Amino acid sequence: MSRTARNHHPAAAPGVPPPHRVSPHRLVRAAVALAAAGLLSAAVAGCSGGGGNGGSDTLTVTYQQFGDSKVQANFLKSVKTEFEKAHKGITVDLQPISASEDDYYTKLQLQMRSPQTSPDLVYEDTFLINSDIEAGYLRPLDDHLKSWADWDQFQPAAKKAAQALDGKTYGVPDGTDTRALWYNKKLFAKAGLPTDWQPKTWDDVLAAARAIKSKVPGVTPMNVYAGTGVGEAATMQGFEMLLYGTGDTLYDPETKKWVVGSQGFTDALTFLKTLQDEGLAPSAKDQLAPTWSNTIPQQALPKGKVAIALDGSWVSLNWQKGGAAEWPEWTSTMGTTAMPTQDGSGNGKVSLSGGWTWAIPKNSDNSSAAWDLMKMLGDKKHELAWATQNVQIPVRKDVAADPSYAKANPTNEFFASLVPITDYRPAYSVYPRISQEIQAATESIVTGNASPEEAAKQYDEQVKGIAGDDVTSASGS
Amino acid sequence: MSNSLINGGSRRHLHKVAVDVALLVVAAGFVVPLLWLLLAAFDARAGVSVAWPHPWTLDNFASILTYETTYRPMLNGAILCGGGTLVTVFASVLAAYPLSRYHFRAKRPFLLTILFATGLPITAIMVPVYGLFVQVNLINTLTGTILFMATTALPISIWLTKNFMDGVPVELEQAAWTDGASTMQGLRSIVLPLMWPGLSVVTIYTFIGLWGNFFVPFVLLSSNDRLPASVSIYTFFGQYGQVVYGQLAAYSMLYSLPAVLLYLVLSRRLGGAFSFGGAVKG
Amino acid sequence: MTVATTQPPGTAARLRRGLLQGLPLGPAVVLLGVFLVGPILYCLYSAFTDMALTGAAGAHFVGLDNFRKAFSSPEFQQSLVYTLIFTLVSAVIGQNLLGMLLALLMRSGTSWIRAAVSAIVIGAWVMPEVVAGYLWSAFLGDDGSFNKILGVFSLPSQDWLFSIPILAVSLANIWRGTAFSMLVYSAALSEVPKEIEESATVDGAGTLQRLWSVTLPMIRRSITTNLMLITLQTLSVFGLIWTMTRGGPSNKSQTLPLFAYQQAFQLSQLGYGTALALVLLAIGGVFSLVYLRALRLEDGRR
Repeated sequence: MSRTARNHHPAAAPGVPPPHRVSPHRLVRAAVALAAAGLLSAAVAGCSGGGGNGGSDTLTVTYQQFGDSKVQANFLKSVKTEFEKAHKGITVDLQPISASEDDYYTKLQLQMRSPQTSPDLVYEDTFLINSDIEAGYLRPLDDHLKSWADWDQFQPAAKKAAQALDGKTYGVPDGTDTRALWYNKKLFAKAGLPTDWQPKTWDDVLAAARAIKSKVPGVTPMNVYAGTGVGEAATMQGFEMLLYGTGDTLYDPETKKWVVGSQGFTDALTFLKTLQDEGLAPSAKDQLAPTWSNTIPQQALPKGKVAIALDGSWVSLNWQKGGAAEWPEWTSTMGTTAMPTQDGSGNGKVSLSGGWTWAIPKNSDNSSAAWDLMKMLGDKKHELAWATQNVQIPVRKDVAADPSYAKANPTNEFFASLVPITDYRPAYSVYPRISQEIQAATESIVTGNASPEEAAKQYDEQVKGIAGDDVTSASGS
Repeated sequence: MSNSLINGGSRRHLHKVAVDVALLVVAAGFVVPLLWLLLAAFDARAGVSVAWPHPWTLDNFASILTYETTYRPMLNGAILCGGGTLVTVFASVLAAYPLSRYHFRAKRPFLLTILFATGLPITAIMVPVYGLFVQVNLINTLTGTILFMATTALPISIWLTKNFMDGVPVELEQAAWTDGASTMQGLRSIVLPLMWPGLSVVTIYTFIGLWGNFFVPFVLLSSNDRLPASVSIYTFFGQYGQVVYGQLAAYSMLYSLPAVLLYLVLSRRLGGAFSFGGAVKG
Repeated sequence: MTVATTQPPGTAARLRRGLLQGLPLGPAVVLLGVFLVGPILYCLYSAFTDMALTGAAGAHFVGLDNFRKAFSSPEFQQSLVYTLIFTLVSAVIGQNLLGMLLALLMRSGTSWIRAAVSAIVIGAWVMPEVVAGYLWSAFLGDDGSFNKILGVFSLPSQDWLFSIPILAVSLANIWRGTAFSMLVYSAALSEVPKEIEESATVDGAGTLQRLWSVTLPMIRRSITTNLMLITLQTLSVFGLIWTMTRGGPSNKSQTLPLFAYQQAFQLSQLGYGTALALVLLAIGGVFSLVYLRALRLEDGRR
């Protein structure tokens, strides 16, 4: 009963009208018209300027546009005006990329691949800059840096932020962030804890958490990010803040190998397990939600649901005027203190730093002008302005010492004081996968699926698979 | 006799009521998840959980209704997706005609390849496409992006259009041919009007797919003033992963509007959404 | 092509006719050829290399290594399982049955109710993936409406995204895609002549029996076609799941498209990710063949 034309067709095709009705002329005319249209549009497309990066008198600057925050856009616009006045004949073209982290990296890498689309100055996260260096996307800057007096003002740790395995430096950082313990002074008072809390060891931290649990019910004592849901936050604000306090590390820079089988790794996992088992940490399902790293600063902390949070220096950005969760009372409610090392030895304090750097792509067609712009962005005046406007931790000693910086935000001085002792991640090309294994290890602790020893062993196996020969056993483990 | 009539009548009435109830239950099930959108858009302190807004505010809408945040991306989206849909539908109708009416040896393998291609995740080919576009200077052009987006929608669109076209009997065309019309004229004046409901389905389906596509315009366009709304939605995700949920919800409501409007316009022309003239047949 | 014609069937004339008739295929073929064929071939090439978008320069041929790595990886096998569960639950069962139910119900019922329901169901369909993802995250979350509704019926509440993520994303996908099946089946049902159904009723068949033995068999082809299309579309669903769970927790909702994206773009293993995409394509091919065989059986039966 089907009425489809096909079923009515025998081998012959009666659907084809008798030839003298076809008027092939019309069909041919239509076809020619189509082809012409196609060619024309292709030509127009070609002429309408593909996405080239302008001539060598245009400096294309690419950076990540974070949300609808205008801070960086405004800052760079003022730098652009200043630069163009000082360098007549050069136009600065600001091209932000508005996307999530991963997509920003992807887009940037695609652009840097070919000279036609490569920007002249790019904003690289220290998380990924080493991968891009290894892929050959960036230019080494050592010759320039040698003759730049300002470079001495940069903290030694920060100078290494964009240093590759070959020892060359590929970027100039414009700021960084540090991590420490945020705690709710009001809840501490209720639990009988000192409001100027200064823990010296991990046990001190646990003691405070236990006091909160017993004296202030209904409040989660402590949050340490863990699991794959929140991504790198679990690795950097969470696990690495513990591991780097044990004396063991992820990576041995002497032998250039990744460390497995370290006692510190297991100890850090045990700390997380203690938090989980004793009910001092949030529920597993909360921790594993991808939105948790938003919920903590935007909901949990302002509402006093969490007493202690191991988090970053930027958290107060949320609470300022114009932030995602304005909270004017934060200055009197929240206190900050450094995360101690495991037993108080070494520096006594632990912090990890990330941050962004400016870099020049290899395929840039105006690298000397790009370097001039980079020098301007890296000088004292501009790094100070940037650090103040964006609540960045300065990487220049003179900026950190400047009184106007300390005045800009109550916690600035404290977080800046951590820079001398801070560590940068071993952000080499396999780091993202190593980081993912760390997150997986912490997740198995949080869900109770593995013991610290089992999770550490699983991590070791995975690292051997990822890093191949570049693996070494921890000394003295 | 009258008894059985009454029985039959009341049974039919009961049947109708039962159907109505069932439909309402299903509708309720579909509406409830939309609650978050409606509540968060008017909430000054929206989170990711469903909460009654306090305070109620129109601020979220006010802050996003700017040229840069909303109007321009929506316009770009309209150009990209509208243009892409037009190209796709045009090419599909043309391609479906020989596939539906004629026999040729390559037909089955061609159809199979097309079907196969509908399963391809487009993200997988974006890196070589980027390279291709750079080489032929189509990168960062609206035209190039429109053409590519149209191409990604082609396979399933061809398949659907062919099926709808199969439902229009050849006899009607033959009548037109005997009156002196050419094939193309027959296509335009007989076949197309009869498969209009099917074409509407194809148009909507294509437009929705393109309207929600983020990755393709993201990769192929670099100038911010050319990006469509599907990419601009990321303006609500800040540094360090902060999300402004209230604005995101407000934006999402506006973002869904064009697709909903398109459906309303087309379904009105359908004259009652479900009186399709053509059937989907294999 | 053989044709009954009054003109001498010379080869040149036949060829010209064939070309003219095939001409409408032109625009589609050009677009597909320029934009899809080349990149797909390139992908086929890169699946056999260790190409990375970053972290290493150049690409080296590694033969079947990527595929070997995939098939021996438990994460890959898990993603296969989740993909199959997701497709079966949300498309083959969920969208299909719900769409059919709606199409059947839509044949009767008050007209304003029909209009409202269709508008709502289609509204869910037109909503962009990312938005639908957030919607459902909120709906199924701890404080979400779903738990509140369960509370009304005194059923246990939990964070569904955490406990059974694959089910959660399947539900979201059913919500999102049912409209398509509903439209297809409505069209197909409108083709079924009323007389046949009414004669079945007169013969004493009850509603369900009539449905099963008379109505459904008449639209068998549409059912198979619809299943084929929605299976293929569901296999490559990415945005919805990504927004809702990122594939977690513990990869418990990580289907193959998510796994491939993670490998290709988050971990920059482009060669590996492309190999995974090809596996996905192959799975789609297998499903297509199964459905096409079913369709051909239909052809034969008629």
